[in-house]
Amino acid sequence: MANILFTAPPLVGHLNPALAVAKHLQSQGHVVAWAVHMDRVGNRMDPAMRCFDIGQFDPAGELDSTKVRGLESVRLFFEDYCVPMTRACFRPILNIINEFKPDVLVVDHQMPAGALAAQAAGLPWVSLVTTTASILKLSDTLDEWVSAQFASLQNELLPAELHRARPDLSPHAVLVFSNQQLMGNLNQCLPAPYVFVGPTQGEGRAAVAFPWEKLKTGTRKVLLTLGTVSRDRDTRFFEVFLQAFAQIPDVQAVVVAPESLAELAPANVIVSPFVPQMELLPHMDAVVCHAGHNTVCEGLRFGIPLGVAPIRDDQPVIARQVIDAGAGISIRFGKVTPAAALHTLNELLDNPVYRQAAQELATHFAHTTGAQGAAQHIERLMNDTEMSTPK
Amino acid sequence: MTQALILNLVVEKIRSTINEDWIHDYEIDLETRFNEDLEIESIEFVKIANAIQQHYGDRLNIAAWLSGKSINELIGLNVGQLVDYIETQTEPQ
Repeated sequence: MANILFTAPPLVGHLNPALAVAKHLQSQGHVVAWAVHMDRVGNRMDPAMRCFDIGQFDPAGELDSTKVRGLESVRLFFEDYCVPMTRACFRPILNIINEFKPDVLVVDHQMPAGALAAQAAGLPWVSLVTTTASILKLSDTLDEWVSAQFASLQNELLPAELHRARPDLSPHAVLVFSNQQLMGNLNQCLPAPYVFVGPTQGEGRAAVAFPWEKLKTGTRKVLLTLGTVSRDRDTRFFEVFLQAFAQIPDVQAVVVAPESLAELAPANVIVSPFVPQMELLPHMDAVVCHAGHNTVCEGLRFGIPLGVAPIRDDQPVIARQVIDAGAGISIRFGKVTPAAALHTLNELLDNPVYRQAAQELATHFAHTTGAQGAAQHIERLMNDTEMSTPK
Repeated sequence: MTQALILNLVVEKIRSTINEDWIHDYEIDLETRFNEDLEIESIEFVKIANAIQQHYGDRLNIAAWLSGKSINELIGLNVGQLVDYIETQTEPQ
């Protein structure tokens, strides 16, 4: 049995898939521990797993702002979040490695401090990738800029012989929570040993209460969610869709939004700030979302057509994958009108082409093994005596 | 060619390429940013650029012009910068 150290940034979309993998490894008898920001995510951690606190981190910018869009949000993510967090977390993670003595690290791709600390300690690490936008060659300008960010971090933290072009992508294994059919072939992948495991099934997530008695049977249903990062920022999008839902009273909607919006909601809409998304999805006929990678893959796993309104970061890239696969309709987040929202909802619910394409993708997702497959792959790697840190 | 004429053409190509209700009412001027104001993603920008390129032919190479730009310049790219580029490329020799 092995000691396995997980680390991820304090973001739900990154933590949840990693928690699912950790739970499977623990059930196989491995000793799993975490290096996380306890003040931010302590309440989401599994009490049965040992948690080491990395300490406090206050990003320079607001990661949850919907005002920052597109490419600019990618730049700010690195400059205000990823790079300073790597600087702040590198030594704390090294100290945790010295105390816990892991055999291997499992590192979220947007927690490069974990990868650099593994390199410094001479340990192998596995990367978890929660969005395929991070493994695609999108443009030379962007790719060169990202590599330059990693180069300057490594200049500060690692001896030159340990530098890598992309430390966020492990040379041992990069486990991706998506599938290649959705990713498409519009862009090439950066070179790395990928394993596409598909979305997790929500294992390891904290339980969320939901008023199940309000969910009607025999009506068509729509889930509207902007994920955990953007949920509380901008209510215009929700208000527009509440007006659209009022026009289709025979459809029931679950809207993941601040409680304050409940008073604006028509009778056919349930507003809730948190929902048990995995349990709700099988009841849904359509999902409107921000094209967050987890929500997209989870929805498509159930063959549900998607309305995608990308806001920032990787979301435009993932939305494009959904559109190109024919499994959804593009919504312009800041420009959508009640009439456009209503048209999108009617199309998603009544036009069978979107559901057919979504169900086609679902057959591919059915062959993926999610967190369990990821855990098994990590175990195989640990048994492989060849696995050692490349110099 | 005057700046106003080029601006009209660029605006027309943006509207006809995006072709959603809001874009026909949206006031587009030299200051309008593709990324922040219009929420245009890169693949849509390529379509707009292709439509403009088709109009002017070989005198333009928008892809080459963009490849010389830094990430910050791409983020802040506005209609006026594209119009300026077209204007310099289409000036009588």
